Amino acid sequence: MKQDGQLTVLDPRGQPSGIFGRRLDAESNPRAILDPFEQPSGEIKPMSMAPRLNSLDGKTVYLVETGFAGSFEFLQELQDWFARNFPSVKTMIRHKRGTMFTDDPQLWAEMKSSGADAAILGVGG
Amino acid sequence: MTARFADFVERNARARGTPLRFGFPPYPVVGMSRAVLRQYIEGNDPITSKPFTQEVTEALTSPLTEREKHPTITRKQRRARLLPVDSEENLYRKFIENGWTDGLPFVLPTEERVDEMLTGTDHAPGEIVGRMIITTHQEKMEYTVEKVAAIAVMAGARPEHFPVILALAATQEPSMPSSTTSWGRMMIVNGPIRNEIGMNCGTAALSPFNLANSVIGRAWTLMSINFGDARAGENFMATFGHNLNYNNMCCGENEELSVYEPFHVQKGFRADESVVSVFRGWNMLNFGIGSAKEMAHVISTFGGMGTSITFVVDPLVAKGLRTQGFKTKRDACKWIVENSKVPAGHYWEGQMQAGFAARMAEQGVEPFASWAKLPKDAPIAPRRSPDDINILVVGGETNPMWITTDFTHTRSVSIDKWVPKSGIRHDAKPLRMPAPVTCKDGTCGIPDHAPSAEPVTAAD
Repeated sequence: MKQDGQLTVLDPRGQPSGIFGRRLDAESNPRAILDPFEQPSGEIKPMSMAPRLNSLDGKTVYLVETGFAGSFEFLQELQDWFARNFPSVKTMIRHKRGTMFTDDPQLWAEMKSSGADAAILGVGG
Repeated sequence: MTARFADFVERNARARGTPLRFGFPPYPVVGMSRAVLRQYIEGNDPITSKPFTQEVTEALTSPLTEREKHPTITRKQRRARLLPVDSEENLYRKFIENGWTDGLPFVLPTEERVDEMLTGTDHAPGEIVGRMIITTHQEKMEYTVEKVAAIAVMAGARPEHFPVILALAATQEPSMPSSTTSWGRMMIVNGPIRNEIGMNCGTAALSPFNLANSVIGRAWTLMSINFGDARAGENFMATFGHNLNYNNMCCGENEELSVYEPFHVQKGFRADESVVSVFRGWNMLNFGIGSAKEMAHVISTFGGMGTSITFVVDPLVAKGLRTQGFKTKRDACKWIVENSKVPAGHYWEGQMQAGFAARMAEQGVEPFASWAKLPKDAPIAPRRSPDDINILVVGGETNPMWITTDFTHTRSVSIDKWVPKSGIRHDAKPLRMPAPVTCKDGTCGIPDHAPSAEPVTAAD
């Protein structure tokens, strides 16, 4: 309503819904990333981080390649850096299944069961 | 995570209650030599100025903070329905300075204007139309019929346009999905509403000569900015951006001059139903003249990611395809797919294959796994199905031309549910720009049943 040159206008911004998108599963059609109806979503709960290691000596660190171009080469160089600077650290490069947009619970389970001590995921963007 | 995304991922992690630890090498990573990647790793994290490898090793070994042990979700506050009362000048400035517009002149969504827009539908103002966000994993933003009406007002739309804009909102797809690759989008309207609201499907349909085409296409982007929460460089990461984002190639299909069934009928809708269909891709790749053979030749020259191809064809091209023996669009698409094979070596040379198809091949996903084993000169069809090709008939029979796009059809939504029971709410004197001048006596163009001068067969 216009009163004395003043206007009341609606706020055009969307309202926060509390609903977040999540990664597609590894078996998803790659084109599902195009379709918000195929992308899983839902409410989320806070998740605390895993306890940190006291030291990296003798530990196994997984280097998980996410799928963005250049990531594999970057992780290979990071692996070389560990070999040069932390020779006691065992590093394993693994490719995440599917694309950069998909989850890979199978790989996370495998890492836990095979004695992985830590993981570095990369490279995003 | 490269440094370009530092602020974005850290805010996103806080919003999700998952305080991950990141190390940020410089960017970009893609396409860099091993020597450069090594420099990244041995150099500093540009965000913290500490050695990158120190960030990495400390992320794995330094004790958790209290916030990391007991994270909380940072929730966005719900917003008030109305902005504080202010002068028109100050409010106009506020919208621009807050990034709530596309930078072009717009109409302030006053209560009166929004109320008028709401007469364009029977749906309640508070009804939730959907949720949208320009990235796939961030918090989705919810919007009501009234919010969509505010966007429609801003775009310069009238109530007669509102049902199409609501249907667009109901796709829940932003016109500006965030990707460094800079997506472009396209939307096409089918069915009776095209003519009822004066959309242009004919001559210059993709040019700025039609109010409905302009304001509807614009509204999609204004809702993507405001509902999708698009902020350049913060969560909208397109390297170039895309000029199509201004209007999204909004037009109608020229059903009247097309010899083929309309696109929405191909997708299972009734011919008398009004439907909006949305597409996503990157580029208008070229324009062409000629037959299916030429169309197949053109797309065989594109490597790409094996995404769809959408041809926007003048009605004369559709008539030409019909006279070449293709009874339906699908027949033509099937022939084009089968005759646009590329050498396997050419396919795998594409940079984008590394991120998608090559990974699929490594994981044994067909047909990529088999394609990876083929000799370089073995022919493969990156578009594997007629469904990977779309033909949209648009234009005014000025010339038998077509444009090739790498657009994929993503969704079609009925408009009819948003139309008032009493019919489309027209103004007493609807606003119309001048209609394009067209062939006055109907004698222009190729006759519908002209004999084919160059029949196409599988042998071609």
